Amino acid sequence: QDTFTLKLAETWGPNFPIFGDATKNMAAMAEKMSDGRLKIQIDSANKHKAPLGVFDMVRAGQYDMGHSASYYWKGKVPNTLFFTSMPFGMTALEQYAWFYYGDGMELMQEVYEPFGLKSFPGGNTGVQMGGWFRKEIKSVEDLQGLKMRIPGFAGEVFAEVGVSPTNIAPGELYTALERNTIDAVEWVGPALDLRLGFQQIADYYYTGWHEPATELQFLVNEKVWEKLPADLQEILRISMRTAAYDMLIQSQHENAKAWANIKEEYPNVQIKNFPDEVFQAMYKANNKLLKEAAAGDELAAKIIKSQEDYLKDSRAYTDISERAYLNTMGSVE
Amino acid sequence: MIGMIMFLAALFMLMLGFPVAFTFGGLALFFGVFSQGMDLFAFMPYRIMSVMQNTVLMAVPLFIFMGVVLQRTRLAEQLLTSMGRLFGGLPGGLAISTILVGALLAASTGVVGASVVAMGLISLPVMLAHNYDKRLATGTICAAGTLGQIVPPSIILIILGDVLGLPVGDLFRAAVGPGVVLIGLYIVYILIMTRFKPETAPPMPEDNSISRKKEVMNALLAIIPPLALIVIVLGSIFTGIATPTESSALGGVGAIVLAIIYRQFSFQMVWNASKDTVKVTAMVFAILVGATAFSMVFSYTGGDYLLEEWMLALPGEKWGFIILAMLVIMVLGFFIDFVEISFIIVPILAPVAEALGINMLWFAILIAMNLQTSFLTPPFGFSLFYLRGVAPPQVRTIDIYKGVLPFILLQVFVLALIVIFPEWFGMSSSY
Amino acid sequence: MQWIIKLDEGLARLSNFCGWVACVAMLLMAGNVFFDVVARYAFNEVSIGMQEMEWHLYSVVFLFGIPYALRTDGHVRVDVLYSRWSNKAKAWVNLTGALVFVVPFAYLIGIYGYDFALDSYNMGEGSGDPGGLPQRWIIKSAIPVSALFIAIAGLNMATFALRVMSGEKQYEGENSAGGLA
Ligand code: NA
Ligand code: NA
Repeated sequence: QDTFTLKLAETWGPNFPIFGDATKNMAAMAEKMSDGRLKIQIDSANKHKAPLGVFDMVRAGQYDMGHSASYYWKGKVPNTLFFTSMPFGMTALEQYAWFYYGDGMELMQEVYEPFGLKSFPGGNTGVQMGGWFRKEIKSVEDLQGLKMRIPGFAGEVFAEVGVSPTNIAPGELYTALERNTIDAVEWVGPALDLRLGFQQIADYYYTGWHEPATELQFLVNEKVWEKLPADLQEILRISMRTAAYDMLIQSQHENAKAWANIKEEYPNVQIKNFPDEVFQAMYKANNKLLKEAAAGDELAAKIIKSQEDYLKDSRAYTDISERAYLNTMGSVE
Repeated sequence: MIGMIMFLAALFMLMLGFPVAFTFGGLALFFGVFSQGMDLFAFMPYRIMSVMQNTVLMAVPLFIFMGVVLQRTRLAEQLLTSMGRLFGGLPGGLAISTILVGALLAASTGVVGASVVAMGLISLPVMLAHNYDKRLATGTICAAGTLGQIVPPSIILIILGDVLGLPVGDLFRAAVGPGVVLIGLYIVYILIMTRFKPETAPPMPEDNSISRKKEVMNALLAIIPPLALIVIVLGSIFTGIATPTESSALGGVGAIVLAIIYRQFSFQMVWNASKDTVKVTAMVFAILVGATAFSMVFSYTGGDYLLEEWMLALPGEKWGFIILAMLVIMVLGFFIDFVEISFIIVPILAPVAEALGINMLWFAILIAMNLQTSFLTPPFGFSLFYLRGVAPPQVRTIDIYKGVLPFILLQVFVLALIVIFPEWFGMSSSY
Repeated sequence: MQWIIKLDEGLARLSNFCGWVACVAMLLMAGNVFFDVVARYAFNEVSIGMQEMEWHLYSVVFLFGIPYALRTDGHVRVDVLYSRWSNKAKAWVNLTGALVFVVPFAYLIGIYGYDFALDSYNMGEGSGDPGGLPQRWIIKSAIPVSALFIAIAGLNMATFALRVMSGEKQYEGENSAGGLA
């Protein structure tokens, strides 16, 4: 029986926690389940030097697979935006249901097909935090001209309500926030934020709304996929799906641990929600941007509608199950 | 194995005197195409793109521009000679001034290419004009220019923070002590050295027409404007007006303003400064592009796995591990770029160090200090290339190689101090 | 011989043109960064488009500077032996190096860089950030264009070496960007 070695390029550096663990986890499962017939060799960003070139490199066949996030390709293929997480969108549980039991996988394939790529869910961070702020946000007024590192679509939403999204090289982020070159930074969640040390220099940690369920992605070159025998395809599919789900669990675990650590060692840090008025404004801005996207592109319209419909139905159930339970707990504590 | 053969080939080929950047690139091409085929080079555009999008490197042309303008308007000379005059009849004054200016620049950038070239432009002509020994002059400049790596902000520390998962702020704070000690030792070394060999660093000629007091006053007055410029650059970082990278643009614009104030300004001067800047910037980046091709071939032919094997063979006992790890990093630093070392080797060492109960902050500072040395070690130390690139023809590569030796020894000495007496630097070796 | 001199001087003009482009980009970049800092600090105005323009210009500085520095002999050499050699020996090193190292290296970067830029053009790639610059293919094509000019500068190095061999020209007593400092 033939053995296959697939080369995978990941967007993250070596030893990058949680995200990188998902890739390693997937590779280890695939190799074990296939009894060594399917090997996945991971190259981190330090080797290929192109963290945001993963899409192109897998498409061109320089790598067989990739591990990244779909919204990074928004500048090339606008519709890839929808498969990571949307502001005011679904939670991880709802979104996985949409991917696997709703139209998610099919729509995602429709977007990636023309580029000879297959895309799979690649691990979820859970709700991302809304960012570290040096001053408290009490009104929409406070957001006017606020300089914040916030990339991508969420940055566009923030820009609509008056924030000035700002580019800062990741290596200079800490210094820039410490010295008020910028006023706020959006990163990921406690576990990864802790590494950058923002808790030492910013007092307000805002809860998230913009990426309620950030899903990473595995990319596979279609020609490579088709060369695999049916059993190895299945092993790869299951490995990716299991590793993705496992990352959500690991995120919960690591974030909880990191948050406990921040709470204990950095009493300066206060958790804040944006005021309702700010949420209202951002919600409106988000809907406006989505409407614009839907007007310009048929497929975009189809995806947005599918997500909206699914969210509505799914949320109705979340409301009487998860939310009801959390509310109950809130009232007995 | 191909990677190792390629290094030996480079060692030999560089001696032929063909430009360093294209010797790296050409060798990468031969070894790469023969072992992996042409398509390996399909990765090159991505690697060049990653240099293009690395905005921190923008500090290189911007700082060089500041240096060139200061040099062309003779303001740099004024700064250094005036500082030198403050030392009166003491030899070595210019060298000590160079180190102090280098320390200030180091505090405003973490990019070695930027500070070494800027320091070369600012102080090499002045020291040579005052009959300094070529070796002492070039060694001082390389060492002072390379300080940017250990004095925060610093690229090495940022990369190590990323690889080791340590907060950048903690690393920056921990590096201040070693940086200050290093600067102090450089100065002490020059004071001692020039006492025994005053002819290598003659003092500024005394101006007998005016009193010593007046001379000092004049010198202080002359220092103020150029020093103010550097202080503004630093100040813009500390007050958050600009990021370290952006501050270098303030430096360039500020230098032009100074030129206007001193009536040295002309559009011709600015255009010529731009031309010089482009030439030197191109020299620095050609080396980066050649080196990225070289390291691409090195890692895609399995060099990274070979290094991994070596690292895993290190002893599993704390002091043996530390000493051997430091030796290996130092030897590899002779040949391999510090970024490669941080990314390939450090992730392998980190879990072992952690398991041995080693304080990771301390470990990171040791590595940073060690890697800083790698910029100075012949034959591939990038600082040496950069300085050679702007030095006049009478300064030979071999002068620079010999000139940096004492400074390398000083760095190793400080490294040993941090290993043996971590508490002197506010750290502990275990947690 | 006459045609080699003509060719050499023609090629040199192309490299000087690159130098001109890089110098203009250099001044624009310094102004661009300065403007962005002032706008952000004094007026709270941030334009991601202008911020991206910074690295676009900076890329042009070094990508077009490299061929220019080749013509002006600005790339650093290890001169332990080189500086003692005769003009003829230097010419041989430069002729061989130019044809064996510089031109093939530039050729490979050029062809793969062309695909890289073409891909970006076909996908209509732009910035993914709010207010970022569209048409990313323009800056990506700076890679193959720079490679083309590096190849030209490499040929130029060879033609100059031939002129030196014939005794008509000499390498000046220095190498690298020497004398700047
Ligand atoms: Na995020
Ligand atoms: Na520094």
